[in-house]
Amino acid sequence: MERDRLRRPREPARLRPARLRQPRPVGSEGGAVSAGHSPRTGAGRAPDVFERGGWVTMREYGDDEPVDFAIVGAGAGGATLACKLAEAGFSVVVLEAGPFWRPLEDFASDEEAQQQLYWLDERLSGGADALALGGNNSGWGVGGSTVHFSMISLRFRPDWFQSRSRLGYGVDWPITYEELAPYYDEAERALAVSGPVRYPWGPPRRRYPYREHEMNAAGLVLARGAENMGIPWASVPLATVSAPRGKSPPCVYRGFCNFGCATNAKQSALIVWIPRALAAGAEVRDLAMAGRIELGQDGRAQGIHYRRGDQWRFQRARNVVVSGYAIETPRLLLNSACNRFPHGLANGSGLVGTHLTTHAGPGMWARFDEEIRWYKGPPNMAVCEHWNYTDTGKDFHGGYAFMSQGPLPRAWAQLLVTEKNLWGAALRREMRDYNHMAGLVAVAETEPRACNRVELADVRDRHGLPVAHVTFAYSDNDRRMQDHARRFMGAMLEAAGGHDVWTSDDTSHILGTCRMGSDRATSVVNADGRSWDVPNLWICDGSLFPTAGGVNPSLTIQALACRMGARIRTLAARGEL
Amino acid sequence: MLAASVLSDSALEHYRADFENPGMFAPLASAAVLLACALRGTRSAAPYATACAVGTAGLGFHAYNVLRRPGGLSWANLFYAAPLGAPAALALAGVIGLAARPVAAGATTLAGLPSGRALCGLAAFGLAGTSAEAALLHFRGAFQHPAMWVPVSVPPVTALLLAGAALPHARGPRRLTNALLRACTWLGVLGMGFHARGIARQMGGWRNWSQNILAGPPLPAPPSFSALALAGRAALALRAAQEAA
Ligand SMILES: Cc1cc2nc3c(=O)[nH]c(=O)nc-3n(C[C@H](O)[C@H](O)[C@H](O)COP(=O)(O)OP(=O)(O)OC[C@H]3O[C@@H](n4cnc5c(N)ncnc54)[C@H](O)[C@@H]3O)c2cc1C
Ligand code: SF4
Repeated sequence: MERDRLRRPREPARLRPARLRQPRPVGSEGGAVSAGHSPRTGAGRAPDVFERGGWVTMREYGDDEPVDFAIVGAGAGGATLACKLAEAGFSVVVLEAGPFWRPLEDFASDEEAQQQLYWLDERLSGGADALALGGNNSGWGVGGSTVHFSMISLRFRPDWFQSRSRLGYGVDWPITYEELAPYYDEAERALAVSGPVRYPWGPPRRRYPYREHEMNAAGLVLARGAENMGIPWASVPLATVSAPRGKSPPCVYRGFCNFGCATNAKQSALIVWIPRALAAGAEVRDLAMAGRIELGQDGRAQGIHYRRGDQWRFQRARNVVVSGYAIETPRLLLNSACNRFPHGLANGSGLVGTHLTTHAGPGMWARFDEEIRWYKGPPNMAVCEHWNYTDTGKDFHGGYAFMSQGPLPRAWAQLLVTEKNLWGAALRREMRDYNHMAGLVAVAETEPRACNRVELADVRDRHGLPVAHVTFAYSDNDRRMQDHARRFMGAMLEAAGGHDVWTSDDTSHILGTCRMGSDRATSVVNADGRSWDVPNLWICDGSLFPTAGGVNPSLTIQALACRMGARIRTLAARGEL
Repeated sequence: MLAASVLSDSALEHYRADFENPGMFAPLASAAVLLACALRGTRSAAPYATACAVGTAGLGFHAYNVLRRPGGLSWANLFYAAPLGAPAALALAGVIGLAARPVAAGATTLAGLPSGRALCGLAAFGLAGTSAEAALLHFRGAFQHPAMWVPVSVPPVTALLLAGAALPHARGPRRLTNALLRACTWLGVLGMGFHARGIARQMGGWRNWSQNILAGPPLPAPPSFSALALAGRAALALRAAQEAA
């Protein structure tokens, strides 16, 4: 029987709904603004993310003024597309459920103080391998999950775009790597990705715009292990700058990246795409929760019902883009069911919410005699993509990358509690080894399967909207891949001199619930992210992914958004919007 | 001046490394002695020879430090392991000091060459080497500011012209070389200004000077250009005087 339950956070503090309703005050506009309560954008201005208390001017549109594009969600997909569309001259309004963060004021270097950055509204999580939903996968606020992501910026292996025809598993994407490559370049330049001069995997490519960071000791463990096993390794291409860039100072290696980066070295959507979008005339409405997309008699989307400041409002739009992350995007479409689409808007194929994939994150941990001090620097500094590019010797389909780790003390304690069931004196004893630990965690592709999905629950959220019900279970192939990853990473830790190796379970990125494809019967949108059913409805986020690939997704999401921006421009010029 | 630059640079960098190895004091001591001797015009060869030895040994240590890390001779290790250019500069300061002694005593040849030409060659070599180090580190900084191209373009051209002056039968007056050397002298000063601004662009800027002086672009590095350019001008003048005689 399915293990359905209201999934409580693994870590008590992360999902506590009370936290959402009474967030601690952040920000400093005369003390009036606290995250989650008063909007910061409006009256012709938006926060200047680079100045304490600073403002930039912002163009505003009326609810009744049909804008060219209304975008739901200001994360990796939405912020990027908003920037590209505004720069192409379209009128754009972005509706973001969370607050407009002020990095220099809101982000303390404090693990506890920053638990407000996640999507903590209720969700149901069930299935044989129910996913933990919260800090490890869902962002909330302008910048989306990129505000607290680990900045790993890897490209997909080219073959994955045609994984069915070339590698015999998954499904083919409707685009090729070659089509996306220029947009990968564009995204890497926009984010000033700091990477190695030569990256050992993948086809020849432009050099990363910024040089790699100095490797921390946790990364050197991976490097040593890999060299002892005769396997290539590399420093991770990271979206945090290794030298100054505009108003971003270089990274200071304090390691609070999985929270908001108070240095502004992290090139999140909040500090890269949003300022550009605002400068180009886009409007961002923070604390604006989209609840339903309205379909007109003509079969075209008319606009979005959204709630801001305790009021339901309606923004008219010529085009609607949904970029709410792979759980909220299908949820919004399902919540927008209407006469024409009783099973969810744009759901003629019946696929909205299905084929959810995640990255399995089996971890291996070991103790080292020498001090590692793995909290130093960004959490993941060395990577091995061996099993993404080598197909011989696999007993599974798909691939995985793995990275060196650097959890901060609270996160580490939490892992010891949840995975090793330590408590009290035993926990204290183990925590004393904190500075001697090192570990490797995989980003392992899982198969897209119809049974893994997002549906609507009977439970309603604080806006009165049905919440998402996420069901997930691993396939046999997913399990074989994780076993392989555990064996291989364990061997590497031992090759690097580690002992007392033990393992943990986790998952991360959620992808693929509104997949793109070249056939309307087997996909929700086409290669441009355009709905097959509703011509002026678009999707631009991780839900587009037909397969998950064995690397972190945000660079691919941003490259897809850049490509969508360019395609929309072309279509508009041809009168085909 | 080169000694002063080496002294402060090595002091900062080895301080940053917490003087993990007692050998890290050697270049400091040697550069300090060198500086004192240069200021007082000491006649003895010993401090200069020591600087050469310490610099060369340091080069060996630093090369070992680069090679023993995972990745070996890789870009990352050249960027972040012990810098090869720094001990080389100390050795160079020693060599220049050694060369200057007989010249000051009136010798007209050095290693079998007319001393003016020999010193031109030495200064040219130094400028080229310093520029190579700037190139490496500015590449590391992704040439994120256009001014970062200057120290990798002007000094190499200057070094080339200066090396030309070291050749036999080279043309007499070298106005362009002199002008470029003067530019390189100023480049050292301006470079310090740019590096100061670079420190200001770090998180916390100059308010957090105690960390950012270590984390930001090195303040003492650019004056090496001034030092070598001044040495080059002196060499050029000596060569002209010798030619005239
Ligand atoms: C801890 C962590 C570490 C990560 N590390 C990496 C990494 O190193 N590399 C990598 O590539 N990826 C990483 N990721 C994943 C990456 O951040 C996400 O895959 C990516 O940001 C997803 O982009 P998106 O556009 O789909 O959604 P998001 O960036 O999450 O943006 C969605 C936005 O939509 C808003 N929204 C949702 N519903 C509504 C609604 N109804 N109305 C209004 N607004 C709404 C949300 O508030 C949110 O801001 C990490 C994620 C986390 C959480
Ligand atoms: S380590 Fe670097 S990227 Fe991470 S939070 Fe600190 S400054 Fe930001």
